[in-house]
Amino acid sequence: MAAKERSDDERERCLTGIDAIDHILNGGIPRGNTVLISGSVGTGKTSICIEFLIRGALNGENSLYLSVTEPTDKLLVNVIPFDFFEDRLMKQGKLQFIDLPKMYEKLGIDKEDLDFDQTRLLADTIVQTVEDQKIRRLVLDSVTSVCYRIKDQERIRDFLLRLGTELSSKDCTTLLVSEIMSSEEGYSRWGVEEAIADGVIVTGNLERRGDLLRTLQIVKMRGTTHSRAKYVLDLTTSGVLLVPLLKGGSVTGGG
Amino acid sequence: MGEVTVAAEVADKLGSLGESSAIAMRLRTDQYFDAIQGMLDRFATKKDLDVVYVTSTIPSQSIINALEALEISIDHIWFVDCISQIMMSKEKRHAHTIIVESPTMLENIMLKVEFLLRKHSDRKALIVLDSINSLAIHNNTKILSEFLHILVNNLRSRGAYTVIFSMHEYETEEIRNMLVLVSDETVELGTS
Repeated sequence: MAAKERSDDERERCLTGIDAIDHILNGGIPRGNTVLISGSVGTGKTSICIEFLIRGALNGENSLYLSVTEPTDKLLVNVIPFDFFEDRLMKQGKLQFIDLPKMYEKLGIDKEDLDFDQTRLLADTIVQTVEDQKIRRLVLDSVTSVCYRIKDQERIRDFLLRLGTELSSKDCTTLLVSEIMSSEEGYSRWGVEEAIADGVIVTGNLERRGDLLRTLQIVKMRGTTHSRAKYVLDLTTSGVLLVPLLKGGSVTGGG
Repeated sequence: MGEVTVAAEVADKLGSLGESSAIAMRLRTDQYFDAIQGMLDRFATKKDLDVVYVTSTIPSQSIINALEALEISIDHIWFVDCISQIMMSKEKRHAHTIIVESPTMLENIMLKVEFLLRKHSDRKALIVLDSINSLAIHNNTKILSEFLHILVNNLRSRGAYTVIFSMHEYETEEIRNMLVLVSDETVELGTS
């Protein structure tokens, strides 16, 4: 066994605070991992990410939400209903929300397509923000929207590798939201995201005899053993709850 | 010795069981409301338990109306109602009721029970499943057994009481086997 090789137990964990996910992962996400949260609309991706950040902030970890598609004030409407949310987290700067379009503006990125230098600049600015603010938990919602502006597969690969490597070296655990169509194969729009990420968590809809169930499945997580079974998800004011998907019935559709 | 009422019998039998017990309660339909009264008013109140009442038999509002008529407080009773939605009921939803779209959404029943138990985690709880027979109308035996097995073991690990109603008139061999598998005790009403 190589000297640097470590067992699951030795790797420091980032407890998501979502009990069931921490249980499935045998103690949380390995610290510093970059994880893709992939799913179609309305499957709970943003709620999972917001809970991950609030729970972290409550635990004293600086947490940052980089929003691409939704303005911060609209997102905050989703935060307040959580029973465990406390105003002080934002006042103390433990929980921060930044609109990525504002970051583009500051960096002078005004064209729709990002060239190589602009892509590098964006990755470096995110990493610098994480370093300056001592961020331990980061959410980028969504990486798909950023990739739409990068367009070129090679540059997307470079952006994600740079981001992942730098954030990991700063012990920052990152969730990248990936928007996919329910009919799509794979876990990301460009195919690159899932290959580079340390982990892939898939949310979806499952139709069973006319009922539509929200599901969650962890298909990949480097640095830990974990269940790969499908769970049913509920988004509540107490946070995200999961129970095992019952297998006794006939399943007529996938998701 | 005078005749023992159903309500008193239920309270007495449940009172003799230990915490974390899963009880199959076999009753006739004419004993239904008396059994509910004994369980909620006499047993749960005396033990100071929170109650999560999962109903797939009749709408929660009908049970609430009956409890109000009997002047039983529902301050510590919450309902997971799996039947009102598919009945397209227009009745106003009580603040203590959570709706599950259909009795076929068994995972969602577990999730709502979990949600309510988390909300009131400082108190001991009684979970009532009313009834195995009505759930069996909407679900096949395999998935229903799996549901009961997971739910009951989860509740047992939390130290909660679980009571599963089973109506004599609608019992099948499969239902009886299922109850034997998941419950610690079977309480037969009207046999004492």
